[in-house]
Amino acid sequence: MSAIASGTAPSDRAALRPAHLPRRAGKGIRPGRVILHAFLIAMTALWVFPLFWAVYSSLRPISDTVKNGYVSWPAGGLSLDNYRTFWTEADLPYFYANTLVIVVPSVILILLLASMVAFACTQFSWRFNVTVLMIFTAGNLLPPQVIIVPLYHIYLSTPIPSFTELDVGRFAFPFFSDNNLLYDQYIGIMLIHVVFQTGFATFVLSNYMKTISKEITESAIMDGAHVLRIWWNIVLPLCRPALAAMATLLFTFIYNDFFWALILLKTGDKRPITSALNNLQGEFFSNNNLIAAGALLAAVPPILIYIFLQKQFIAGLTLGSTKG
Amino acid sequence: MDESREDEFPRRPDRRITVPHTGVDLPLDLDLTRRDILKIAGYGSLAAFIAACGGSNPTTSTSVTATGGKMSLGSYQSDSVPKKALADLVTAFQSANGGTKVTVNTVDHGTFQNQITSYLQGTPEDVFTWFSGHRMRFFASKGLATPIDDVWNAVKSNYTEGFANSVKGDDGHVYAVPTSYYPWAVFYRKDVFAQHNYTVPTNWDDFKALCAKMKTDGLIPIAFADKDGWPAMGTFDILNLRLNGYDFHVGLCTGQQKWTDPKVTSVFKKWAEITPYYSPAFAGLTWQQAADQLLRKQAGMYLLGLFVSQEFLASGSAADLGQLDFFPFPHVGSPYDAEEALDAPIDVYMVTKKSPSLSSDTGQAKAFMEYIAKGSVQTQYFVESPGAIPTANDADQSKYDPLTKKAADIVSKAKKITQFFDRDSRPDFAGPNGMQQFLLKYLANPTSDTMSLQTSMQSFWDSLGPE
Repeated sequence: MSAIASGTAPSDRAALRPAHLPRRAGKGIRPGRVILHAFLIAMTALWVFPLFWAVYSSLRPISDTVKNGYVSWPAGGLSLDNYRTFWTEADLPYFYANTLVIVVPSVILILLLASMVAFACTQFSWRFNVTVLMIFTAGNLLPPQVIIVPLYHIYLSTPIPSFTELDVGRFAFPFFSDNNLLYDQYIGIMLIHVVFQTGFATFVLSNYMKTISKEITESAIMDGAHVLRIWWNIVLPLCRPALAAMATLLFTFIYNDFFWALILLKTGDKRPITSALNNLQGEFFSNNNLIAAGALLAAVPPILIYIFLQKQFIAGLTLGSTKG
Repeated sequence: MDESREDEFPRRPDRRITVPHTGVDLPLDLDLTRRDILKIAGYGSLAAFIAACGGSNPTTSTSVTATGGKMSLGSYQSDSVPKKALADLVTAFQSANGGTKVTVNTVDHGTFQNQITSYLQGTPEDVFTWFSGHRMRFFASKGLATPIDDVWNAVKSNYTEGFANSVKGDDGHVYAVPTSYYPWAVFYRKDVFAQHNYTVPTNWDDFKALCAKMKTDGLIPIAFADKDGWPAMGTFDILNLRLNGYDFHVGLCTGQQKWTDPKVTSVFKKWAEITPYYSPAFAGLTWQQAADQLLRKQAGMYLLGLFVSQEFLASGSAADLGQLDFFPFPHVGSPYDAEEALDAPIDVYMVTKKSPSLSSDTGQAKAFMEYIAKGSVQTQYFVESPGAIPTANDADQSKYDPLTKKAADIVSKAKKITQFFDRDSRPDFAGPNGMQQFLLKYLANPTSDTMSLQTSMQSFWDSLGPE
């Protein structure tokens, strides 16, 4: 605010400046700004507090908090022991690998399929393009829970060939299936994510593609490019910000998902990272400090993804609006 | 109304499809009307629903155990100590049974329970870890477990009558082998009782007098926590057992008795006499927080399962663990006091029905069931993963710590044993929308008239469909 004020009010007219406009820095502190900053600091503290609390708990041994409570100074000292225990006891690298094996192919497949649909529906005029778009969008409205019983039985009775397995130490990744069914397979989880996320991705990508002027596509046709080539060489590069934003979102969605894995996987060793956290809980007793450490570690990959794709993410949010 | 239409447009009889599980025949041709599509969709989901409800007839099973070969085990022992103990048990079984290769699928406790229905109907392992009580009988009656009478005949001499009853299904067949259990009782610290010269109360009046005295001494008389909903059911169980007896309690859990019965009112009345002595803000506390109150000498007593010792163990202080003791819930002056009934949930192993490998592994699975019924095996497991108590008669009691010995003792004195409300009643009634919510409602205002609450409990029970 002060920057705007100083930009519009030249210094020779400073005396004429109305009293209600903010003064330049260095000429005293206005109570309004004090209140504003006090408010901002309070809000920041409020938002950071739970995170801080988790970090603080995760650094304390359970014996300390059992004896002294969580609201106390660390009598047992602070250490990274909980992180170490979680990393080894819960087999963390292994479960990270499980999640990546599900998330990465799903995200790629969703973006490919959704961009194809969005491309066909926005860049070309044909009889049912709006209808198709609406059907894909309407898919978002279907709550996955309602189809879980039939889906479970479909998965149990769909034969899938088993080929070979990719063995990397303890981690064995079966191509397609290791029990000749869709049930209890990585590929089954990938497929259902693709099915359920493609609708949303299509919706977002088509909105973005509508902002690409048709002249670009038309001139490509004039130059003799066929449809797939326009999609891959012209439209997809233009959509990079939207694709990156979608990739970030989809990664987080699928990373956090627990529902499909709960119903459609039965093997504990195939479950995603979020379930490794549950492995730390006993039937009755839970070491909450250890779980805090685990939760913080499990949150790392989505944060990394966000940091690396942040530029694209924000570009994706704003680019469309300025073009329109 | 469909017949008239089909008369007008006769179809070729060979192109028809039978919807599985319903016996409904539908025409299969390409000029489907909207009505046909609706019909197919309707019957299709009906078929899926029926299939989802499971149900197949039990078949006769072979009675021999086999060595060598392979078998699989689904386990909820996911935290590191019991997981390691089970892995050692499995290794010992492998060498004892001619090298049977055992594949263990470990799923965390909460998830295992949540997905048990889909697990058992899908492609489960041959053997799985589970609970006794209604939860066992339910899956047995749905045809999702294999009866193991032959295994039981071989091992039953190693079990008491109470355990024998706990593994019988509704059809009278045996479906499980019990491996461990733990009692619910009133826990206290010996040093706190010695410091204030308290004596262990044996009847209701002494119990209440002790509570009043503790309050004047600045203690929370009874630690209590019900954030997770289930702990309060332990108090309901024991009061109902003491006041109205085992038979009424079991009848209530299974719907043969009514929640509007004045006997239930008497339980709530009795309960209200001790609720003023509970931990403040108990509805927001977890059992671990309430156990901490006992550990830190802020609270005097705590009615909970033996697993309360795990919190003492976590404190890392052997001195605190050594002070933990318990006494059975006091008598209330009813004729049912003599039953000495208590909640002592039993954990069991069962054989699944739908395991794809069971046909070839039945012998090995049964050999495993016989193996875990041995006292020596259970003792070894207990030594590695202390907590729940072995069930076999020939388990080596000299390996027990004093607390475990005492726990085994009070259970053996009990003439009637229940499994805890959520294992004795149907899951949808015992869950957060049912009993847990009703008890929290009661505890929010325990002295008020409970008849309207009891009426809503009964109407909730009546609203539940057949299981």
